[in-house]
Amino acid sequence: MKNAIQRSAPVTLGIASFVIILVIWELLVRVGWANPFFTSQPSAIASALARQIRTGELLRNFLVSFREFVMGFSAAVVVGLVLGVVAGWYRVIEYILDPFIWFLYSAPLIAFYPIFVIRLGLGSGTVIAISFLLSVTPIAVNTLTGMKNINPSLILAARSFGARPHDLLWKVALPASVPMIVAGLRLGVGRALTGVIIAELFVASSGLGYSISYNGQLLRTTNMFASLIVIVALGVACTQSLSALEARFDSWRTSPGV
Amino acid sequence: MARIAAFESRPRFFESRAFVSTTAVLLFLIFWEIAPRLHWIDGTFTSEPSRVIAATLEILRGGDLLRDVSISLLEFTLGMIFAILIGVPIGLLLGTFQTLRYLLDPPVMALYATPQLALLPIFVVWLGIGVGSKMAVVFVGGVIPIIVNSIAGVREVDRSLVLAARSFCASQKDVFAKVIFPGSLPAVMIGIRLGISRGVLGVIVAEMYVSQSGIGNEIMKYGSAFRVDYLLVYVILVSVFGFTATTAVRALEERLRA
Amino acid sequence: MNQSVTNPLPHIRILDVTIAYEKPREAGTFVAVADVNLEVDRGTFVTIVGPSGCGKSSLLLAIAGLIAPSSGRVVVNDHTVSGPGRDRAMVFQDFALLPWRTVLENVRFGLELHRWSGENLDERARRYVNLVGLNGFEHYRPHQLSGGMRQRVGIARALAVDPEILLLDEPFGALDAQAREVMGNELLKIWEQNKKTALFVTHSIDEAIFLGDQVVVMSKNPGRILETIAIDLPRPRTIEMLDGDAYVDYRRRIRTHLMDGLSSERAIVAPHG
Repeated sequence: MKNAIQRSAPVTLGIASFVIILVIWELLVRVGWANPFFTSQPSAIASALARQIRTGELLRNFLVSFREFVMGFSAAVVVGLVLGVVAGWYRVIEYILDPFIWFLYSAPLIAFYPIFVIRLGLGSGTVIAISFLLSVTPIAVNTLTGMKNINPSLILAARSFGARPHDLLWKVALPASVPMIVAGLRLGVGRALTGVIIAELFVASSGLGYSISYNGQLLRTTNMFASLIVIVALGVACTQSLSALEARFDSWRTSPGV
Repeated sequence: MARIAAFESRPRFFESRAFVSTTAVLLFLIFWEIAPRLHWIDGTFTSEPSRVIAATLEILRGGDLLRDVSISLLEFTLGMIFAILIGVPIGLLLGTFQTLRYLLDPPVMALYATPQLALLPIFVVWLGIGVGSKMAVVFVGGVIPIIVNSIAGVREVDRSLVLAARSFCASQKDVFAKVIFPGSLPAVMIGIRLGISRGVLGVIVAEMYVSQSGIGNEIMKYGSAFRVDYLLVYVILVSVFGFTATTAVRALEERLRA
Repeated sequence: MNQSVTNPLPHIRILDVTIAYEKPREAGTFVAVADVNLEVDRGTFVTIVGPSGCGKSSLLLAIAGLIAPSSGRVVVNDHTVSGPGRDRAMVFQDFALLPWRTVLENVRFGLELHRWSGENLDERARRYVNLVGLNGFEHYRPHQLSGGMRQRVGIARALAVDPEILLLDEPFGALDAQAREVMGNELLKIWEQNKKTALFVTHSIDEAIFLGDQVVVMSKNPGRILETIAIDLPRPRTIEMLDGDAYVDYRRRIRTHLMDGLSSERAIVAPHG
């Protein structure tokens, strides 16, 4: 019995923490310690969400952002994997791409949004582009790192059995890189979502990020929190599923000794 | 062939990272300079290296640079300092006490999965368009990776070291100060490094969103006016700063690891 | 030093082989093996023993065709070795199993790479899984197996391609003492069934004597052959032989050679007595 309690502790305490936060939040407003104008309150947010669901506003915003996110992330996965594999396989290509990847990683790309808007228009086009650029870097970098850090013993063994470069790539290097690649996907998913939200703050006329900004200008904190909660839920769902995927492939790690 | 030979010879100079990377960048710069002149690409939206250099000189002569840099730097530094001062102790605490961790982990992970800049409009409502909201964004962006990595750092400390200390009758305080804290320091540094890159992005985007001064503000100004040459000066400035800061922390990490 | 035995056609001939590596961060080369000459007859189990860093593994890699000697050549069946081949298969100290493949899939790995034709790869692999005593574990993955079991997979993988020559690079180095003993016996039992030419590299003098028909004693870096000792103990080998006079005598001879070959600073060739 004690064991069961211990094992379920993370889940129960986790749920408890959210409940506690919501309760405290609501109470602070009700007793007057917190100004609902600034902080809103769970009950108000809940009814705002319900209203938004009824009017379809929530679904609209969510779908816009979600679509942008999916397209940006998918493009980043394809491009990032290809770049990472090629750069991991050919050292020269890694050296060529390295300075540009560093720039992509560290520069505030949103600064270029006017240029994107000229080419891709206001709204989804630019948002997807920003989301893509933000998330392609960790995917490419992690794939590259995965390819570079394969246990050399495996390569040696494969060569000892007559493996040709083609075999080394498909039968050893790529499977061995999967754990790092999935870690890169996890990082990329977060940045893709970040890219969507950032871009929506500046160039969009619909979507969750836009909704937060728009309501912010009207000081409607309740609506802001409503959209924020949806964003948090989306972010958590994506990161958690990729973490689960990462755990699944953990036994594929080629640390020496396996 | 590929890098994946089991025994690599010392690379010749022309294959070295320094040579290839530098040459690639130089070739890119040359192409960037020539292509607009030959009308291969539209120079109004891409500018050229020569104009960027001219813009740099103009900005340096202008005298506003110092003020803008100081403001952005101030917001960034204060936000990061708070993030470190609050994040590290919390992270170490959560790493040490399991029940606390089970309780607070879900909210922390929820925040980790959320784009920090989704909170920007809310911070603007709460703290206005001045320095406060930018600091808040930097703080939130930085504190979460610091907490998460500090937790990981504590949990990765080799249990046998703790046992060894206890066998010498070390008190709880000693165990913490002499084993757990130093042992988790490398992971804490990683968290700080991640926090810095999120913080840099945060302060710039926040300033772009709404501000009266600072680098982000300048970026917004020149971006909307399509003065790409001036825009690039600031973007490169931010990139270089971000790179320097993270490299410095990385060097510290190496030093600690030794 | 030369070693030749009565048979006219040695299976493996190592002729004046020197193996040197470029040092990655400094100038100059690191000589692993210097002027080694060795002949190995078909069907003999040769063990190579020597201190750390004496190049024993490099020698094996050269025979396998994975590295090229800086000078001299390796000849197998009258052909100079220029790369890996079906006639030679290797077993590795860290097992080198693919973690995402099951036992069965790992055993068929070599068959796939050599483009083995003429029979169903899974069936053939299964036979070798049984041979090493892992039947029932075909669908387990390496991380679910003990060290000894993983090495059995490694051995099965090597045997599955039916090589003429088996190269074993400290295969039991990562196992604990008991597992080493058990695996040593297992290996001999398996080897007795097909008597392939085997080269077995080890740190352990006991292992070298117990397993081998010949023991090649190498010096410390740069590795040279100090002596080749023929082991005149009957097969199949038994644990009792470890107490016999002949055994003790061999061990003394080898230990003396190894001790002589060391300078005072590196006097840690611990004879695993």
